[in-house]
Amino acid sequence: MMISPRLDKSVRIFNWAAAISIFIALLIVFFYAPVEKTMGNVQRIFYFHVGSAWVGAVAFFVALAAGILYLRNNNRKWDTLALASVEIGLVFLTMATVAGSVWGKPAWNTWWLWSPRLTLITVAWLTYAAYFMLRGAIEDEERRGRFAAVYVIVAFVTIIMAYLSVRILRDIHPVVVGGTMESAQGASEGLQEFSGLDSAKMGITLMASTTAFSFLYVAWLLNRIRLQQLADAVKDLKIQVTTRLQGEHA
Amino acid sequence: MSESSSLVGPAATVTEGRAFLTAVWAIVWKDLRIEQHTRQTISVMVMFSVVTVVMFNFALEANLDAARNVATGLLWATILLAGTLGLNRSLAIERENQTIDALLMAPIHRNAIYIGKVISITLFTLALEAILVLLFIVFFDKPLWRPVVLLVLVLGTIGYVAAGVIVTSMTIQTRSREVLLPVLLLPLSLPLVLPAATAVATYMFPQLPAWGEVQSAVYIVIIYDLLMLTAGFLTYHFVVES
Repeated sequence: MMISPRLDKSVRIFNWAAAISIFIALLIVFFYAPVEKTMGNVQRIFYFHVGSAWVGAVAFFVALAAGILYLRNNNRKWDTLALASVEIGLVFLTMATVAGSVWGKPAWNTWWLWSPRLTLITVAWLTYAAYFMLRGAIEDEERRGRFAAVYVIVAFVTIIMAYLSVRILRDIHPVVVGGTMESAQGASEGLQEFSGLDSAKMGITLMASTTAFSFLYVAWLLNRIRLQQLADAVKDLKIQVTTRLQGEHA
Repeated sequence: MSESSSLVGPAATVTEGRAFLTAVWAIVWKDLRIEQHTRQTISVMVMFSVVTVVMFNFALEANLDAARNVATGLLWATILLAGTLGLNRSLAIERENQTIDALLMAPIHRNAIYIGKVISITLFTLALEAILVLLFIVFFDKPLWRPVVLLVLVLGTIGYVAAGVIVTSMTIQTRSREVLLPVLLLPLSLPLVLPAATAVATYMFPQLPAWGEVQSAVYIVIIYDLLMLTAGFLTYHFVVES
């Protein structure tokens, strides 16, 4: 079995959807969104930073769900989905970190700080990077899928801990979604320069960039799944060729 | 489990629960007996830890002030690294002697094996920590005997071993075995160790801090323990199947 025409079609649709929506999001970020009061134009990084971080979290959640489904019904497609989602999640996490670092230089006067939030994001990055080391160390396909699924479930604990810790511990990094007293306290103490969105236009811009990044995620995901299916098909063909050649010789 | 299946209702649950605890206890007892006879796990962990501490002192050029400031971080780093040795040792023995196959064939719940292993390796690590705490008090003159410090050490060890048993059960079945374990386990345990180390560091000053200062860090450690034990409970039987 090669690639289904339905997958080919959705790959094409989402490639275009991602390209167009990213272009529109860029226009909105640079021409529609207002200039932020205290930080000025630098604050526009916010839309990329939050958008990619958000999509990264979604990607790891998808990987978790795919891992659970793989353990439940042992279907290879869930393993492929988990693998694709972890890969893309790592890319989005890296994008969010780089964007955050570029923003950190003007905001905190340093590229990097070991605050709880930044530390835990680094930890999550390392945890998911190790996922590929585990996969690489197992030859048997069935066992690789099973262990990778277990690992992706266990690794999600670091995402939960990162989410909880930044809402419990005091941090220089602002909490935009579901902020709590501690982070508000940090803001009132002047620990955080940027405390969130102060206009509806900013909210709309954030929505636009997050939507664009979501389309990009789906497009990458489908491309990656297609790639994996092609690789599997090539492997099957090789086995077929080998067995036929052996049959001729015998 | 098989005998009790004829029972129904709460009676069956109680019998099954008792069978589960008996199985857990049997595994812990077995591991303690093996350790009593061979003394391989704890002695390796202790030797490794002492070497690490001496090595760090050397790195800090015998500057006692600097060493004191990093003492809590050093304590946790040593526990984590020695912990990987203990985990590898305790779980590799089961593979080498093929006793894991016997355990899997036994009519007990797979999670009884998981919990039994978590308890016995936690006990080994706690024994190591008892020695380490004494050494650190002597070397660095820090009040590590305070109850909250000991509580955080115990809670942190439980979470670390809960994650460790799952990860080690997988890595010992791979090609790279021992090499892979720290790469997988250390990042996974950092969300636990960071708040735990912060909490311990808060208690290193002569005057006793208020409980409120470490409360949230201790809660994070407890949440991690619960999450990891749950994840281990749900996934352990998938990693020991062959």
